Amino acid sequence: MTESAARGDRDLLRRYHDRGDLEARERLIEQYLPLVRSLARRYANRGEQLEDLVQVGCIGLIKAIDRFDVDRGVELTTYATPNIIGEIKRHFRDKGWSVRVPRGLQELNVRLSQLLEQLTVQLERSPTIAELAKAAGVDEEQVLEALESGQAYTTVSLSAPAGHGDDSDLDPLESLGQLEHEYEVSEDRAILAPGLKALDERERRIIHLRFWEGLTQSQIAQQVGISQMHVSRLIRRSLEKVREEIATGRNL
Amino acid sequence: MAPDAISLSIPHAEPYHGVARLVVGGLAARLDLSYEHLEDLQLALVSVLERDGYVVGPEATVRFLVQPGSVGILLGPVDPDTIRTDLDHEPADGVSLRRVLETLVEDVVLEEAEGRHWLLLGKRVRTAGAEADREGA
Repeated sequence: MTESAARGDRDLLRRYHDRGDLEARERLIEQYLPLVRSLARRYANRGEQLEDLVQVGCIGLIKAIDRFDVDRGVELTTYATPNIIGEIKRHFRDKGWSVRVPRGLQELNVRLSQLLEQLTVQLERSPTIAELAKAAGVDEEQVLEALESGQAYTTVSLSAPAGHGDDSDLDPLESLGQLEHEYEVSEDRAILAPGLKALDERERRIIHLRFWEGLTQSQIAQQVGISQMHVSRLIRRSLEKVREEIATGRNL
Repeated sequence: MAPDAISLSIPHAEPYHGVARLVVGGLAARLDLSYEHLEDLQLALVSVLERDGYVVGPEATVRFLVQPGSVGILLGPVDPDTIRTDLDHEPADGVSLRRVLETLVEDVVLEEAEGRHWLLLGKRVRTAGAEADREGA
């Protein structure tokens, strides 16, 4: 990138960040669209349309533009590239379920999630694999395989509608209770931490309850109003997002 | 009493990490561990295995050590400096390695053997299956 182009970027970034100039933001997005397209092309032919991947990559680009710190002295390309790739990879991970996991396993995973809830209540403790297998009428290996298949699946975003075959019929937004605000205020440190900024409000809350309050998954599930398996997925996904966020920061 | 040991060597690449998770699952089924304990062990394992810079070299070795009352996961070889730095300092990112690991397992020990470093993650659990077997032997 030429010095004048880099200067042009910095001017646009300052106009957007300092003065909220949305036109400057739009121009940056347009300018970097070829970069998104070229990165998306690398991941095409894996069962996803190029245009879909470009759309996903654009989300990464927009996040990069929004989070970019003009005073850090790096070029936007350097910062945006891992963000765009990260978003595309996340997309593949999110879609992985339908792409890679056989339907039978998906269904068993959903059924296990429900059984996990029922057995936890019934036994007043977390069930064993054998107990889950018996309740599901399958053998232990199938339970393990179905649980492992769940790793290929991450949960819906906060704004996505419910009913994706997930373990909860609850609209995710409904699970955000009044305590949310209190939590946000009391946990400034965590919220301000760069790695945790990558998380949405519910993910931060769950991470806080697990790693600061020391609650078990079942206790968190009860408190947040979602299933234990859903809590498990959110914890894993959140830690992955934090790792990615930190890695992106370290690469700058 | 020497612990029962299960050793697994896998290419240190993301597609193979699921194999290590499945072994934890198999072990949990064998020992009749609860789902929560299985989750804790798997998450502790992947928190080290999947983070760049912890496990070094093209191959990761995961050794599961089972004895009455506990399951250990010996993982490596690891970069001791990176691990030590992340264990000893609460970084600004909030969710430090120590915080994650110590929530999930009771023991987090960096060990040296044969010139290489290994991270031992020990969890106290009710190993019903293993104990019954030993009693019956």
